[in-house]
Amino acid sequence: MAAESAQKFEALEAQARSLLDLFARAGYEPVAPAVIQPAGVFLDQIGEQVRGRTYVFTDLAGEELCLRPDLTVPVSRLYLERHPNAETQARYCYNGAAFRFQPLGPSTTHPREFRQAGIECFGAPDKESADVEVLLLAVEAVRSAGLREFWLRFGDIALFYALIDALQLPERWRRKLRHYFWRPPVFHALLTRLAKGERPDSDGLTAALAEKIAGETHDSAEEIVAAYLDEHAIPIAGNRSLREITARLCDHAADLRADPLPKEVATVIDYYLAVSAAPREATEKIAMIAKGAGLDIDAALDAVLRRFDRLERDGIDLERATFTTEFGRKLEYYSGLVFQVEAAGLDENEPVAGGGRYDNLLAALGAPREVPAVGSAIHTERLLAAVDKVAS
Amino acid sequence: MTTSMTAPALVIAVPSKGRLKEQAAELFERAGTPLRVKGHERGYRGQLEGLGDVEVEYTSAAEIVHQLKAGRVHLGITGEDLVRETLTDVDGTVEFLKPLGFGQADVIVAVPECWLDVSRMADLEDVAEQFARSHGRRLRVATKYMNLTRRFFARKGVTGYRIVESVGATEATPTTGTSELIVDITTTGTTLKANHLKVLEDGLILKSQAHLLAAKSAAWDPRALELRETILSALST
Repeated sequence: MAAESAQKFEALEAQARSLLDLFARAGYEPVAPAVIQPAGVFLDQIGEQVRGRTYVFTDLAGEELCLRPDLTVPVSRLYLERHPNAETQARYCYNGAAFRFQPLGPSTTHPREFRQAGIECFGAPDKESADVEVLLLAVEAVRSAGLREFWLRFGDIALFYALIDALQLPERWRRKLRHYFWRPPVFHALLTRLAKGERPDSDGLTAALAEKIAGETHDSAEEIVAAYLDEHAIPIAGNRSLREITARLCDHAADLRADPLPKEVATVIDYYLAVSAAPREATEKIAMIAKGAGLDIDAALDAVLRRFDRLERDGIDLERATFTTEFGRKLEYYSGLVFQVEAAGLDENEPVAGGGRYDNLLAALGAPREVPAVGSAIHTERLLAAVDKVAS
Repeated sequence: MTTSMTAPALVIAVPSKGRLKEQAAELFERAGTPLRVKGHERGYRGQLEGLGDVEVEYTSAAEIVHQLKAGRVHLGITGEDLVRETLTDVDGTVEFLKPLGFGQADVIVAVPECWLDVSRMADLEDVAEQFARSHGRRLRVATKYMNLTRRFFARKGVTGYRIVESVGATEATPTTGTSELIVDITTTGTTLKANHLKVLEDGLILKSQAHLLAAKSAAWDPRALELRETILSALST
């Protein structure tokens, strides 16, 4: 418990109780997943950078464990434990501690131990309605705690994917851009290389083999690669099959031959990722960028607009909100709408609440099918601090 | 020890076993200040001949880094790889006084030789994408150098991986299937070759060797500083 005084503890407890009451009244069942979680799940889903922010340790039996860095993954695991077939709709709420190593030392707005109160909605088939429901409930929650001065920031991962799908690109480049999107510095370097029309390395063993299999069918390419391995007595190791190795050599061969991707592709993506404005204005800009490049992303854009219409109808002040296309690139499990609540006195990196849609996470955690999922968590210490700040 | 002694003016930590110990002994021999073990053969304290107020502490190469960090010893001889792996603020904690020309080892990134499509670090991120797609998980890097690996991979823009900690026989893990690639030390490359691994073209993380190091937080009184200069110049001739 990060509360530094008994008084703050009481205040956090009281706030948590009323948040949970509110969530329960809205039909979200209170759950309490384990504090200690297997580290592998987080390292696999969020990546090695998690280790830099998470208390990872090995127990006496040699198992690699961690103190949960957030509650979304633990609550998702709890859902799967209860519903292994992942066919049931479920709405959960929680309030509990999460732990993050703070490289610059713990502070009031970046504590190493903090409480998250949140909601997760699994399996709701009407995604748009679920998005709106979760977002409205999160906003109602911070409001009920006494927060007056706040605004929303939105992003949408699905819209970026729609843009990539609409671009004239070989599939191997599309995959690459989708993957690199989550790695902004590498993504940027890749775009620069694209724009310059750079070709891959044309010397070395990899390139020589790529030359050799260029133009071959996948099967005969595989035979050539197998023959090379045999001749040099190299066994297959490292869990990748001959097929996978050959597939990448074929991609390399295609890159060696293909015309460089048009500069315009990089420019369109750059323009898109630079958009940050009030939602209506932002969507207009995005529509213009798409139209200028002759790309059809109407369906994805309409979905974004419909959601904004519903939010506005339900009392969300969009004039004060921002839609940032870059927003949400940090957590690879997000797949659609992402949002956060920012409050007066706290900066953009200290949101009071955040959330979004993560349709791929449950399958990655072992669900037999894709499970629509959306949730939101409140950083309760920050919420209390933001409310206190205005009150005092 | 039964004889009472005045506190030493300077403490130097020296590796207590293996090749590093032998090579450190040869080094001081050549410098004309041979190491003398105090008491029985397996003692953990010693002296430098001719420098009566220097105490030698024999301890493991890894422990020497911790002793230097805490300032419990003034000087220490240990591998640069251990220093850079263990300390978060290397420059604020120790000073590299002199590379000693032994204990050479390269910390490298190696992948299975059969990965004909991979020759550079940048290829790893593409492999990570393909691997996640077909196996549903991240690439695993087996290593005991968790920090060096994380920093190097971050600098090279490779993120689609996770580390599995390995304390022994790291080079065998891609063959046994518990990892896909490794970060390990190599001197001649024979072990890598025997395990059908190849070093990536830009996969050299650190060219390490044994160094004489000074602890910044040790008590450096004038006599200790004087002894440090004496030892350093003896080792430099």
